Amino acid sequence: MSQRVKLGKLWDIYGTLCILLVIVVLFSALSPTYFTRPENIVQIFLQSSITIMIALGEFFPILIAGIDLSVGAVLALTGMITAQLMVAGFDPTLAVLLGGVGGGLVLGAINGLLVNFTGLHPFIITLGTNAIFRGVTMIISGASPVFGFSYDFVNTVTGFVGFVPVPVIFALSFAAVLWFFTAKTRLGRNIYAVGGNKESAFYSGIDVKLHTLIVFMISGLCAGLAGVLSIARLGAAEPAAGTGFETYAIAAVIIGGTSFFGGKGRIPSVVIGGLIIGTINNGLNILRVPTFYQLVVMGGLIISAVALDRLIGRMR
Amino acid sequence: MSNLAPNTAGPAGTEAVAPIVRMVGIEKHFNNVSVLKGVNLDIRPGEVHVLLGENGAGKSTLMKILTGIHEPTGGDIVLDGVSHSLVTPRQASEAGISIIYQELSVINELSALENLFVGRLPVKRRLGVPMVDWKLMEAEAQSIIGRLGLGGLDLHKPVGEMPIAHRQIIEIAKSLMKNVRVLIMDEPTSSLTSVETERLFALVRQLKAEGTAVLFISHKLDEVREIGDSFSVLKDGVSTGHGRIADFTNDDLVRMMVGRVVKQRFLAEGAIDRTSMPVLKVENVTSADRKRVRDVSFEVHHGEVLGFAGLVGSGRTDLMNCLFGAEPRAAGKIFLNGADITPKNPVEAVKSGMAYLTENRRQTGFTPNFTIEGNIAVTKSVKDAPLRGTWGLVDRKAERVTAEEQRKQLSIRCAGIDQSILELSGGNQQKVLVGKWMSIAPSVIIFDEPTRGIDVGAKSQIHEIIRTLANAGKAVIMVSSELPEILAVCDRVAVFRNGRIMDVLDGATATEESILSVAMRDGK
Repeated sequence: MSQRVKLGKLWDIYGTLCILLVIVVLFSALSPTYFTRPENIVQIFLQSSITIMIALGEFFPILIAGIDLSVGAVLALTGMITAQLMVAGFDPTLAVLLGGVGGGLVLGAINGLLVNFTGLHPFIITLGTNAIFRGVTMIISGASPVFGFSYDFVNTVTGFVGFVPVPVIFALSFAAVLWFFTAKTRLGRNIYAVGGNKESAFYSGIDVKLHTLIVFMISGLCAGLAGVLSIARLGAAEPAAGTGFETYAIAAVIIGGTSFFGGKGRIPSVVIGGLIIGTINNGLNILRVPTFYQLVVMGGLIISAVALDRLIGRMR
Repeated sequence: MSNLAPNTAGPAGTEAVAPIVRMVGIEKHFNNVSVLKGVNLDIRPGEVHVLLGENGAGKSTLMKILTGIHEPTGGDIVLDGVSHSLVTPRQASEAGISIIYQELSVINELSALENLFVGRLPVKRRLGVPMVDWKLMEAEAQSIIGRLGLGGLDLHKPVGEMPIAHRQIIEIAKSLMKNVRVLIMDEPTSSLTSVETERLFALVRQLKAEGTAVLFISHKLDEVREIGDSFSVLKDGVSTGHGRIADFTNDDLVRMMVGRVVKQRFLAEGAIDRTSMPVLKVENVTSADRKRVRDVSFEVHHGEVLGFAGLVGSGRTDLMNCLFGAEPRAAGKIFLNGADITPKNPVEAVKSGMAYLTENRRQTGFTPNFTIEGNIAVTKSVKDAPLRGTWGLVDRKAERVTAEEQRKQLSIRCAGIDQSILELSGGNQQKVLVGKWMSIAPSVIIFDEPTRGIDVGAKSQIHEIIRTLANAGKAVIMVSSELPEILAVCDRVAVFRNGRIMDVLDGATATEESILSVAMRDGK
């Protein structure tokens, strides 16, 4: 009995890492020459950085037993606003602050306020806002990509520090901040309490609506920053950018052991969850698996990872 | 604890009729909690057997084992002489065991007729197409209902529109159609008027005369004496007596149910000064719908515990929610030592030093994903933190000290404060919640059903805490549906009915009867 408890606790912390290692070993065996090259490892991190960013945000709505289906659309809209501001002559830093940071926070706040005001499940609200945000992106861009913003911006965001790409540094340091936030601050712990039982949290003096709002603002902020990373990497703001990214974000969060029922989950595991998604994409590309098959594998993986988590959780 | 019942009916079955059902040495554990510890029960045809016991004694669990919902951990169930280690719901149903729960299981949207035949509608064929045979249903139903002496009941009306007594009769009729041999009735009279109760009893006597065994669960001893032939008593999962009801007085039965005769009281020792300023003053509190809570005013003085008694659904919990800001109010003010603290929401309530131990610890009490430490710490952290309880870092060191203190003070039985609250027994979970509220050093404490589902030991401990708080000058309010508990702890008893305080009785002189007569008084 007690050994099982220990196993369960260990799995909570290292389970996701185990899955990642298994996948790495698998691809190394299948592609011994290319997959394990240092350049490819860096590439995996780079490819994962946007997934990690939006997954970090998605973690919070799922932590309160909700969900945010609009992260892909938020990524596109904030990226579009940032690009248009830069094209209109705004200083890139200001454009990022207004479009990426400000835009993300505002769109997240819209989600949060709608959830609080209507009392509907976030699934429904963000299903709606996903369409709305995507529609607005199309409207303000005339459904065509926006190019022509400064090289300085692109070079800074897509550059390297030593051998590490800037987006990787950015995503990992942001993860570190959020890790500290969830593990050490009162606000972070309150969010876990809301996730465990909203009613109990309410009667314990926690302002559930305020925390719900904050949760969706964090999600929006992360998607907004991912939007900035995305336009820098592509060199253009695509109106269809980030389509379907919510799937990857949710998958990363759930593979990272976060409970769909709320109140359980850890930031480092979400980062590893994001890396798993990136590694699979990368590995399948190297093995020249066609994109459509990649989707099939990805879907199968999401189900197996969650099933495994449930199985081991039940052993406790 | 001595077994007070003489062994009139030994396990060898000295009575004339062989039992239909015999439960021998039944044991049941949930997780690590032992709920039944070797319970015996014989049910004979043509007899009304009464099962007695306090709340939490294990009666429901025993019934759920008999009807196949729970598996027993140990013991034998003998059906018609055949011994089983457990019964499945199917076996129970084939043996003719049928149960009518307190919460009726009729489907309110369906008509009486449909309810009677639900899951087994008779079918006739017209041109080869199977169709519901309403005529056959009607005829069969009328004969059963007629047998129950209730002809003229509109069988086509949705049962949701019928009085509860009629719904109950339909449920009984449903059992009879399945050829019932053992009918279990769980507190069937709790929501019936006296006339309806009499009619039900006539029906029970008729079933008895037809040879059906009736197992009757009730807390009302007078009723039990009127309808019952034999009885068994459960106390804390142990059989503490059985025999013929006529051979025992009500006092005997109560002693078997409660065990210790000593009923500790925790009333204030000195006189309470009600002339000086009250600690808590509540003025004209009305709920937003102006129905559930209507214009309630009261005062709590230094050293006093104010109890709220009343029937379930009388609005006591709604009042507490209104006081705590958890439910919107149309009007009302709350003063603590003369200062207006009327909270708009629980955040403000906590910040101004109110504590509210809610009625349902699983739904509105504890945070299931937290440890003992986390559950105790989170409210204090919210109270201390600026910006509506959000700002600042968690001080683990200080929180561990606080949690440790509460664990010792309340003697919470656990492996350590890092244990998950889900692993604790109900009583210990409740103590953790008491500890959570104690840690904010509240000035106003509301206890709503503080000892529901808690064993006797933990109960008196919580009563002790309540008294200590009152003595320390806190305003203490206790809501309870258990009148003995109200009488044991409260210095004054506000009797609630239909969202109002009907009367405030002196705790020292109040009795269960005096409280009930106010709680059920008709009119305004």
